Amino acid sequence: MKTKDIVLVALFTALLIVLGLIPPIPLPGVPVPVTLQTFGVMLAGLILGPVRGGLVLLLYVVLALLGLPVLPGGRAGLAVLAGPTAGFLLGMIPGAILTGWLAGRPVAQGHLAQGAGVWWQVLRCWAASMLGGVVLVYAFGIYWMAHVAGMDFPKAVWVMLVFVPGDACKAVVAAVVAQRIRRLNLV
Amino acid sequence: MNAAFYVVGQSPIHRLPAGRKLATLALAGAALMWVHQWQFLCLALVLVLGLLALSGVTFRQLLIQVRLLGWFILALGAYSAWAESPALALEMMLRMSTLVIAAQLVSMTTPLTQMMTVVEKVLAPLDRLGWVRAERVALACGLTLRLIPELALQWQDIREAQAARGLKPGVLTMLLPMLLRTMRRAEELAEAIDARSSG
Amino acid sequence: MLIQFKNVFVHRDARVVLSGINLSLTEQRIGIMGPNGSGKSTLIRLINGLLLPHSGQILVDGRDTRQDVRAIRRSVGFVFQNPDNQIVFPIVHEDIEFGLKHREPDAATRRARARVALEQLSIGHLADRLTHTLSGGERQLVALAAVLATEPELLVFDEPTTQLDLRLRNHFARVLSTLHQPTIIVSHDFELMQTMQRVLVIRDACLAFDGAPGQALAWYREHCA
Repeated sequence: MKTKDIVLVALFTALLIVLGLIPPIPLPGVPVPVTLQTFGVMLAGLILGPVRGGLVLLLYVVLALLGLPVLPGGRAGLAVLAGPTAGFLLGMIPGAILTGWLAGRPVAQGHLAQGAGVWWQVLRCWAASMLGGVVLVYAFGIYWMAHVAGMDFPKAVWVMLVFVPGDACKAVVAAVVAQRIRRLNLV
Repeated sequence: MNAAFYVVGQSPIHRLPAGRKLATLALAGAALMWVHQWQFLCLALVLVLGLLALSGVTFRQLLIQVRLLGWFILALGAYSAWAESPALALEMMLRMSTLVIAAQLVSMTTPLTQMMTVVEKVLAPLDRLGWVRAERVALACGLTLRLIPELALQWQDIREAQAARGLKPGVLTMLLPMLLRTMRRAEELAEAIDARSSG
Repeated sequence: MLIQFKNVFVHRDARVVLSGINLSLTEQRIGIMGPNGSGKSTLIRLINGLLLPHSGQILVDGRDTRQDVRAIRRSVGFVFQNPDNQIVFPIVHEDIEFGLKHREPDAATRRARARVALEQLSIGHLADRLTHTLSGGERQLVALAAVLATEPELLVFDEPTTQLDLRLRNHFARVLSTLHQPTIIVSHDFELMQTMQRVLVIRDACLAFDGAPGQALAWYREHCA
């Protein structure tokens, strides 16, 4: 871990926190306001890769648990671990790792033909975001919730499906934005 | 940043060392998993509420933090009562409420600096083993905290700049410039840190 | 303290950044000037090994920057242009103590040394402040205090007064006069350069002038305006 890696992790974690403090966006037709947290998982994994992305989320979760009011709504504390949503919070860490791993290393400009090559990269990033930032996080979250509430796993999955369209849109934005940054090879 | 969260006070709970509070919480949490009779769980809840009263943290302050979790617990309880049995639902709700309140109580009576000291102590043996470099962890934490207000300001700056140019600043348009600036900053910061570290 | 540059060449991609630099620096107050992009920032970063030359050697009191970077960084204090890049921790005294972690295992001694460094610059009252609430001038002083706390043998400044207003620039000059370590300062500030003992002008990757400040400034005005 070079100094620059540590700095990137800290910068990104701070960015995640700042994004999280922006009031959630209420969207028409969606029952729960859209938070930017899953966004953070996707971006961290896509831009920094599995190792640093995972560390970003680890740092985020640890700081939140230690008492920094960085969870949406300015919340924090150990209560989350005791509650039913613990899986969603902790699941963000493996989520970022998976996203980063699936997205692969950024391809330097010029190695791929323009046009088709770019679209393929974006698609790959989108898929990585969905699998890591959505599917895996939900899997952890739902598993924990079911385990704790004695809820039926399949039934819980049906309930969560409500959020998937919103998250799919987030994944598109994340993929497009991340692609612009990955191309520049700044990291 | 800490203002709304940590409740300043001098209660006996406040004065307990952080490590002890955390260890007790962990043990209590594990223990409660084995308790199934609602009477005992009720007792545990009352005990925790008593500790809450002792600490000086008002119920209202606590509620602000755990309201969302509260709704979740209620929703799950309702579902559980319908899908499984009311008895099981009650047991789950009592246990979870107790643990949530206890956990939040510990958090709200322990300032961040004390928590970080505990983290340092926990990491110390790992540091000796060579698994984790505690100094780098401390650097990452400090740096993150230090950067939050600055990035928040940068967000404002970008929003102003975009508004001045006639663009409507939404999260989507601001994200890219924000990320670019962040990535570029890393280079300079790393250089300065390297210059200061001699080990 | 003796700093030697021996036949130093530095290039980035296809561009030559520094070419054929040979220097022997011993003076107490040395200034370095040059147009933007001339290579002067690279020059000072070679001193504490932030950059390494592609050929040639830099010796700091006999230590080669290619081999003894750690020892060199312990004795060279580097103050960057933008103090925001240098301040790492959210509370002032924490940031100063950070630089001392390796030299001083005892927390209480670290705290004491941090306090001494702050007092030296008359900013002891800032010890418990949050770094993001400091003004630009205060931040610069804190960054300097952090470097001074490590008791370096040599101080290197990269454009210390560029972002300061007149009052702060004067204050900086006063502070500078109280420092006993030899200092090397890169700057565009003519008034500051006047107070140096020796001024180097870097232009187009080469050492273009080396001499007394008055003459150096005259040469600069004539050739680099």
